[in-house]
Amino acid sequence: MLKNYFKIAWRNIKRHKAYSAINVAGLAIGVAACLLIFVVVQFELSYEKFQPNYKNIYRIVLQQDLGDGISYSEGTPYPITAALRADFPQVKLAALNTAYNSQFTVPANANNFGADNKKFVEEIGVMFMQPQFFDIFKYKWLSGDASVLNAPNMVVVDRSTAKKYFGDWQSATGRVIKMDNQINLKVAGVIEDVPGNSDLPLKVLVSYATLKTHLHEYNADDSWNTVSSNHQVFMLLPANATVSNLNAQLKVFTKKHYGGNDNDHKVHFLQALSDLHYNTRFGNSLGDHITNKATIRTLSLIAVLIILMASINFINLSTAQSVGRSKEVGIRKVLGSSRAQLIKQSLGETTLIVLFALLIAIAIAKLALPFLKNIASVPDDISLFSIGSLLFLLTTTLVIVLISGIYPALVVSGFRPVLALKNKITAASVGGVPLRRVLVVAQFSISQLLIIGTIVAVRQMNYINSADLGFNKEAILVIPGSTDSVSLQKSAPFKAQLLQTPGVKNVTFTADQPSSQNNWTTNFYFDHNTTDKNYQTSLKFGDADYFKTFGLRFKAGHAYTQSDTTNGVVINETFAQKVGVHDYNSIIGKSVKLGNGQWRPIVGVVEDFKTNTMRDAVRPIVLVQNKKQQGIVAVKLSTSNFAGTVASVQKQWEHTYSDYAYSGYFLDQNIAEFYKQENQLALVYKIFAMIAVFISCLGLYGLVSFMVVQRTKEVGVRKVLGASVSSIVYLFSKEFMLLITISFIIATPIAYYMMNSWLQNFVFRIPLSVGVFVLAIVSSMLVAWLTVGYKAVKAALATPVKSLRSE
Amino acid sequence: MLSLKNISKYYKAGNLKTSILNNINLDVDAGEFVSIMGPSGSGKSTLLNIIGMLDEPTDGYHYFLNQPIHQLKEKQRQALYKENIGFVFQAYHLIDELTVYENIETPLLYHNIKSDERKALVADMLDRFQIVGKKDLFPSQLSGGQQQLVGIARALIVSPKLLLADEPTGNLNSKQGDEIMELFKKLNKEEGMTIIQVTHSEKNAEYGSRIINLLDGTVESSKNV
Ligand SMILES: Nc1ncnc2c1ncn2[C@@H]1O[C@H](COP(=O)(O)OP(=O)(O)OP(=O)(O)O)[C@@H](O)[C@H]1O
Ligand SMILES: [Mg+2]
Repeated sequence: MLKNYFKIAWRNIKRHKAYSAINVAGLAIGVAACLLIFVVVQFELSYEKFQPNYKNIYRIVLQQDLGDGISYSEGTPYPITAALRADFPQVKLAALNTAYNSQFTVPANANNFGADNKKFVEEIGVMFMQPQFFDIFKYKWLSGDASVLNAPNMVVVDRSTAKKYFGDWQSATGRVIKMDNQINLKVAGVIEDVPGNSDLPLKVLVSYATLKTHLHEYNADDSWNTVSSNHQVFMLLPANATVSNLNAQLKVFTKKHYGGNDNDHKVHFLQALSDLHYNTRFGNSLGDHITNKATIRTLSLIAVLIILMASINFINLSTAQSVGRSKEVGIRKVLGSSRAQLIKQSLGETTLIVLFALLIAIAIAKLALPFLKNIASVPDDISLFSIGSLLFLLTTTLVIVLISGIYPALVVSGFRPVLALKNKITAASVGGVPLRRVLVVAQFSISQLLIIGTIVAVRQMNYINSADLGFNKEAILVIPGSTDSVSLQKSAPFKAQLLQTPGVKNVTFTADQPSSQNNWTTNFYFDHNTTDKNYQTSLKFGDADYFKTFGLRFKAGHAYTQSDTTNGVVINETFAQKVGVHDYNSIIGKSVKLGNGQWRPIVGVVEDFKTNTMRDAVRPIVLVQNKKQQGIVAVKLSTSNFAGTVASVQKQWEHTYSDYAYSGYFLDQNIAEFYKQENQLALVYKIFAMIAVFISCLGLYGLVSFMVVQRTKEVGVRKVLGASVSSIVYLFSKEFMLLITISFIIATPIAYYMMNSWLQNFVFRIPLSVGVFVLAIVSSMLVAWLTVGYKAVKAALATPVKSLRSE
Repeated sequence: MLSLKNISKYYKAGNLKTSILNNINLDVDAGEFVSIMGPSGSGKSTLLNIIGMLDEPTDGYHYFLNQPIHQLKEKQRQALYKENIGFVFQAYHLIDELTVYENIETPLLYHNIKSDERKALVADMLDRFQIVGKKDLFPSQLSGGQQQLVGIARALIVSPKLLLADEPTGNLNSKQGDEIMELFKKLNKEEGMTIIQVTHSEKNAEYGSRIINLLDGTVESSKNV
C-alpha cells in the first residue's frame, strides 16, 4: 500500500515537473536557510552552558557615573580581590587580568633563548589567572592542576597553544617561554581546549602572582581609583545566598573601600554568567565577540518568517494541484478506498515531497556552511548536525507536513465520488482564491519587510564606510610596538630611517589611532580653574607628526612642536564647545591641566574627527605627546609601489625590533572591522531578502497560474466580446498589484519600527526616508511583474476558441 | 439480493426542487442480468449510483443482501460496498499515473490482500483478459476497448457479487462492445454473477435477462427477455 502511494507520488512529481520543482525548490531553500540560522542561533545561545556551575557563576561589575551619564564597566580595581576575600570569606571568587596582543617568545629547543626563537602574538586568550578560578569554572587538565598557578612566573597553556609552541602538548611541561620580552614563564600545566562557545578563551594562563611586579605594563594599578576593563572578578554564588542579597552587601562594600568622589559615584553589582555573551553594556568581551540578544531575535524572526513563507507556498501550490487530482480520488473511492486511506495517501505524498525537499535543503546547507562565517561569528569547524538541529529538522518536517498536508488531504478526501468522477470539482470548492490571496499577501509582507531591512542596512553600512571620519584613513600602515625603554630609544632613529624610504610620506609614533574602540579618559581642569570639570575628556597620545600623518584638519592654531614630553596640547571642536568656547581662535593660549599633571597651553584646535566608532558620539578630546606612551608607529604611504613599500617597512621594523613579532595592519581595514557584526547583519538581510523575494515569486507564480487556469474561459468570453490584450493583462495584474499594495501597507510600519530601532545603535546614521519605502514597493512590483507578466500575457494572447471549446 | 422501495431523489436549487427519481421500486435477485434503458436525463446513472452506494437517495428504503442500507453508517456501508460491489464506467476511469498491472491491483490493496496473493490474482486476470503483454503500459497507451477491459478486470478482481456497469460500451465501437457483452453474459451464466448495466443500445440490452425502462425518474416498463 505504502509502496503504491509512493509510486504514485513519484510519478506525480515527475509528471508535473515544473510544479514539483517550484514546490521543492521553495521549500528546500527555505529550510536550508532556516537550518543555517538555527545553527548560528543555537551556537550563540549555547555560550558557557557547558559549565557545570553555569547558573551560579557571576561576574562582579561596576556601575559608575563619571559626570556624563551612567556607564558600566566589566572591570574592577586591582586591590578589590584581596578586599573581597577579606569581606566575603565564604564566597569562592577569582580575579583575572587579560592582556591583548601579548607576545610570547619560545626558544626553538631546550630553554635557551637564541636567534632561532619563535615568536607568537596572541590577540586574545592571555590572562593572568588566579588558581581559585578553577574552583568556579571546570576544565579538563591534561597535565598539572590549578595549584601550579599559586607561584609567580608559572604558565598554563591549552592543548592547541601547546601544540603551536612546542609541537605537542606532552612536551610542553617544564619548558620556559618569555612574555612580552620581559617575563620568563615556566610551563606548569596543560588544559584541554576551551570549546568555541565560550567568552573565556583560555589559551595562555599566567599565574596571577606574576602580575604583581608588572602592574604598569598591563594597565593595572594597585589603586582603588583605576579601573581597567581587563581586570575582572568572577565568583560562585554560595548555596544559601541570593543575588539581591549579595548586591546589597556589595553596595556596603563599595562604600567602605572607595574614597573621595568615587564613593558616591561607583557601585559594584553582579552580572550573571548567562548574561555575559549578550550584554553590550559591558564593552569588550574577553573572547571573540558579544552578540546582542536583539540580533539573535532578529535572526530567529527572519528564520521563522522564511519557513513560514516556504510553507505557505507549499500549501498554496498543493491545494491548487489537488483540484487536478479529484478524478483519481473519485476512482479510488469507487475502488473501495476509505477516507482515512485517502488522507494517508495525501499525507504520504506530502511527506515524500517534504522529505525530498529536506534532503536538498541539507545538501544546500552543507554547501553553504563554509560561508556561514560571513554572516555570523561562528567557529570554522561548526557542525550542521547536532541533537538540536536534527530535532529542528524533525519538527520542521512534521509541522510542514501537518499544515501543508492535512488541509489538502482533508479537502481532497472529502470529495464526493460522483462529483469527482464528473470532474465537477472546482478551485472554489478547495478554498479557492480568497485563501490564496491571504497567503500571497502574507508572503509579500514578509519579503517587503526584508527588502526594506536590506535597503536600510546596506545604505547605513555604505554611509559608514564612505563617511568622512575627519581624517584620512587610506594607505596608512599601523604597526603595534612596545613601550619598553629599549624600544622607545629606537623610535627617533627608526622614524628618521623610515622617512628616507621611498614611498613613505609621513611617520608618527602614537598610542592610539584617531578612530579606535579604546577610551582613555581623565578628569581635567580648564583655564586655571581650581575645580575640575564634572565630566571627563578623552586622551590620545601622538608625536608632532600625528596631525600630518592622519591628515587632521586645524580649525585654529597648529600642531605642537616635537618633544619627548608634553608641551602644548591640541583639542578638538567638541572639547572647545563643551568648555563653552565657540570662537576657536580665542581658546588658543588658554591652559588645560590633565589629572594631576601640569598646566599646558592649548596650541591648536582640530576639526572634529570620529574619535570612536560611528555608533558613538564624538568625544571631547585632548591630543598630547608623551613618548613613554607612544609605542605604535603609523606610516603614511604613497600609493605607487604600495606593496613594495609595505614589504620594505616591515623588513626594517623587524630588523629594528628583532625581539618582537610584526603585527602591522592597515588602518582602513581595521576601521572596517569595527562594524563586523553590522556588516554581517546587512549581509544577512541581503541574502534573506533575496530568498524571501524568490520564494514569494514562486508563490505568486503559483497563484497566477492557478488564476489563469480558472479564468481561461472568462478570458475567452471577454475576448469574444472584444476585449483587448492589454485590458486582459490588466485584469490579471490588477489583482497582484492590489495584493502587493496591501502587503506594503502591512510591512511598512513593522519595517519602520524594526529598522528605526536598529539605526538607533548609531549616533551617525542615515535618515529613514520615504525613498527607502518607495524603492521597496517599486522593486516588489517590478519583480512580481517579471514573474507573472509572462503568464498573464500568454493567457491574454491565447485563442478564445480553444479555451471555450474545452468546456 | 437487492431491493429498492419507494426510492426518490431530488435536487434543490434555491426554491426549485427538481425530481430526478420518483418512487422507484425494484427487486433484483442473485444471478440476474438487468439492463436499464431510457432517454438521456431520465435518471439511469443516478439510479445505478444509488444502487452502488456512490450516491444517496433523498427518500426511500434500500436493502442490499438483507441489510438496510439507508440505516447504515458510512463506515458499514463502505465495508459492505467494498466486499460486494464492482463498478465499470463508460469513461473507464483508470488511474492515469498507474500501469495496467497497478490499476488492476489497486482494489486488492484496499482489501488488505497479501502481496503474493495479489500477484497471483492479477496474473490470473491479465491472463483471462489476454492483456499480459500490456501490463506495464499506462492507460494513455491503450485503445478504448483495451482500457475498458482493464476497467472490467479491475472491477472483477475482488470477485464482487454484484457488478454495476454504466454504459460500459458507450465509448467503444460495436465489435468491441459485442466482446464486452459476451464477457458479461459469460460471467452471468458461468459464475452466476449478478449484473446491472445501463445502456442505450437495444442490442446490448438483449444480453440481459430483464430490461427496465426509465422515463422521467420512474420505471416505465420492466420485461423479462
Ligand atoms: N448534481 C446534480 N445537481 C442537479 N441535477 C443533477 C445533478 N446530477 C444529475 N442531475 C440531473 O439529474 C438528471 C438525471 O441524470 P442522470 O445522470 O441520472 O441521467 P442519465 O439517465 O444517466 O442520462 P444519460 O443517458 O445522459 O447518462 C439529469 O436531468 C441531470 O441534469
Ligand atoms: Mg448516465
